[in-house]
Amino acid sequence: MLALDDVTLAYGPVVAVEGVSLTVEQGEIVTLIGANGAGKTTILRAVSRLIKPRKGSVAFMGRDLAGLTPDKVVRLGLAHSPEGRQVLARLSVLENLELGAYVRSDAAGVAEDLERMFGLFPRLRERQRQAAGTLSGGEQQMLAIARALMSRPRLLLLDEPSLGLAPIIVEEIFEIITALNREGTTILLVEQNAHLAMQAAHRAYVLEAGRLVVSGDARALMDDERVKRAYLG
Amino acid sequence: MTLAWFLQNLLNGLSMGSVYAIFALGYTLVFSILGIINFAHGAVFTLGAYLTYLLSVGQFGINGLLAGWQLPFTLPFPLALLAGAGLSGLAGMAVERLAFKPLRARQADALLALVSSLGVALILVNLIQYLFGAEIYSYPSDVLGSLPPAFIFKVGGKPVAVRTVQIVLFVVSLVMLAALAWFIHGTKAGKALRATAENQDTASLLGINVDAFILGTFFVSGLLGGLSGTLIGVSFGLSGPYFGVAYGLKALAVIVLGGLGSIPGAVLGGLVIGLGEAFLPPDLSSYKEAVAYALLFVILLVRPQGLLGGTTEQKV
Amino acid sequence: MAAFFDLYGFLCIMILQQALLGYSLYFPLMAGQLSLASIGFYSLGGYVAAIMGTHPAFEAWRATLGWLMIPLEWLAALLLSVVLAVAVGLPALRLRGIYLALATIAFVQVLNVVVLNMPIAGGAVGIFGIPQAFESRFAYIWFFGPLLLLTILFTLRLERSAAGRNFMAVREDELAAGAMGVRTTANKVLAFVIGCALAGVVGAMSAPFLNTWNARQGTFDAGVACLAYVLIGGSRSKWGPLLGAALLVALPEVLRPLKDSRLILNGMVLVLACVYMPRGIAGLFAGRRA
Repeated sequence: MLALDDVTLAYGPVVAVEGVSLTVEQGEIVTLIGANGAGKTTILRAVSRLIKPRKGSVAFMGRDLAGLTPDKVVRLGLAHSPEGRQVLARLSVLENLELGAYVRSDAAGVAEDLERMFGLFPRLRERQRQAAGTLSGGEQQMLAIARALMSRPRLLLLDEPSLGLAPIIVEEIFEIITALNREGTTILLVEQNAHLAMQAAHRAYVLEAGRLVVSGDARALMDDERVKRAYLG
Repeated sequence: MTLAWFLQNLLNGLSMGSVYAIFALGYTLVFSILGIINFAHGAVFTLGAYLTYLLSVGQFGINGLLAGWQLPFTLPFPLALLAGAGLSGLAGMAVERLAFKPLRARQADALLALVSSLGVALILVNLIQYLFGAEIYSYPSDVLGSLPPAFIFKVGGKPVAVRTVQIVLFVVSLVMLAALAWFIHGTKAGKALRATAENQDTASLLGINVDAFILGTFFVSGLLGGLSGTLIGVSFGLSGPYFGVAYGLKALAVIVLGGLGSIPGAVLGGLVIGLGEAFLPPDLSSYKEAVAYALLFVILLVRPQGLLGGTTEQKV
Repeated sequence: MAAFFDLYGFLCIMILQQALLGYSLYFPLMAGQLSLASIGFYSLGGYVAAIMGTHPAFEAWRATLGWLMIPLEWLAALLLSVVLAVAVGLPALRLRGIYLALATIAFVQVLNVVVLNMPIAGGAVGIFGIPQAFESRFAYIWFFGPLLLLTILFTLRLERSAAGRNFMAVREDELAAGAMGVRTTANKVLAFVIGCALAGVVGAMSAPFLNTWNARQGTFDAGVACLAYVLIGGSRSKWGPLLGAALLVALPEVLRPLKDSRLILNGMVLVLACVYMPRGIAGLFAGRRA
């Protein structure tokens, strides 16, 4: 579904990611783990075309993404819940969710999905008229995920969903992630919390200072020395 | 201090204030989405005034390249107003493409965007001078059709006069404000605009075409500029291609007073300045032009985020 | 040579004069302050010289002092500018970025209206018939030339001095500079005052040169022109104001054959320069600096 081929990403003169190739197949949860600054978020940003690769290519659903702007990539069936959640603070929870379905034109389907989201995240229904900026960290993360799901994406990019959240909330969120995947959403998950990520995922890629050091079945890699070294920095 | 005096000044102030508000909103829309001041706004204001004049009167003046040239048709004023506003909107889009887009693509310093927009303003104003000449253009007195020039009514024995043109100014401004408010809060596109104003990257990730929305914002901004330019032009005449500069600067005072990026702020700021100018004691009338700037200076020292502004979030 | 001066002498002096106005904006910019106030001080300085040169109240002074009146006018303009700049700068320089720029714009506009309402300044018509310091216009190069030279030398010294380094520290990161012990407000005010004082003196020199003086000398457009010199010339370079003024003053003259469309082209140059020369003319020669 998603294929990165020998991708190099840089911010000006600083190379953040070098020569990375990875794939995500339909129905999988693939996780990208590594220490802070390893380049994980940068890779997600390249997939949604917020930055352009210096070298290499990114293909989604068999289609090369070169030359596309993020809004066009989203229309291909991809959704990105960015690092730091990035809810639109001044808009209401409801408006955030409605904007999640911006690319869709089927009003009935959108209304149905809205109900589904409220069912999945009851706290969002309670707070739907509140400004998104007034929500707690955990609620904002739920909003970010729900918003991304509103577009009925084929592939969901999740960037650090556990960041700054209490363990109980994180557990709840990962339960939801696993449930979503069971219902058919393919997920590329970037996480610093390697343990949780490896438990939830099918496969894992380990990133260290911008390069892939190992990849494979998530359970098998959990005790791998290289993994431990990579996420302990 | 009679009631009549109060009412007269109130009416004058509301009428001018509402036009200031509409004009200032053009700045506000661009500022809220790009975080910079579009210094070509005053030039689009001027352009709108001249274009609507041309469409409704149908003839160029005696100077300029197109001296004496006549348009094969003229439009009734309401249509000319709409057409002029629409053309100004297109001009606004042209300003975005010329002055702002190339700099965004190069991630240039915001200061350069300021000077670039000033450059475009220079081009526009001189183009107007080139084509229309520098003389004064005045609308014929029957431009508003068969409506009387003013309505006079008595309050407590003293006369209060409302020029028809003032009513037009106020009503058109009100209509524009209502339309804008409905658009921004009641439509999908309006929501997308608010999203883009808050965070361009996030908006992009939601499937919003940020470039198109920026262009659209400049269209609306130009439309508001051209509309208010026309209204002022009908009210006071077009005193030359540079007549928009003073208003352009005054509108800056309006938006800072109200709070940069705040739409209700622009309305409040416009009304405060309009009323402030109207209620100025007659012996200080030669200082009228200083009212807006004095208020601007004071608000910057006392409360820089403006009357309705939040934190002083600067992008320059 | 003489023919050159006949044709271009006035132009050369204008370039020097406008470059000086560019420097008056460059100094606050060194401390990261975007101030458009200097044009107001230019106007004020000119009025001081014009009034001292024409007003009956100063007749006795003019008679006794003769040519010494001229430097006295500069001194008066300088003192007035410094006092006013401190008075305006201390409260206003707490503002940053576009807010400061707008405050300076507001100040200049208010100043214009106030001056227009002072009978001593001659109202909208202004003051005319200001006595000439020299018989020939070109001789004014002996005023503007040395002043420009002094300004450039001053800038060179300033860049190497502690004060200059403080300015640049404030420009780069005001919070960090403050944390390192730089007295940020004092430095900002100093940079601002230097710029305004220079503008005032240039104004005082220019009034006799131009023979008449009115409020049009201190308009927003004129202020923007000064900003353009600095930005187009290179806002980070000490040669910026001179290079920018040279280009932007000479250009309308060079385009004179195009008559009315030359100002349109002037505007186009401004836009193109912003897009293709973001670090200014000086930036083109500087190569890649970190």
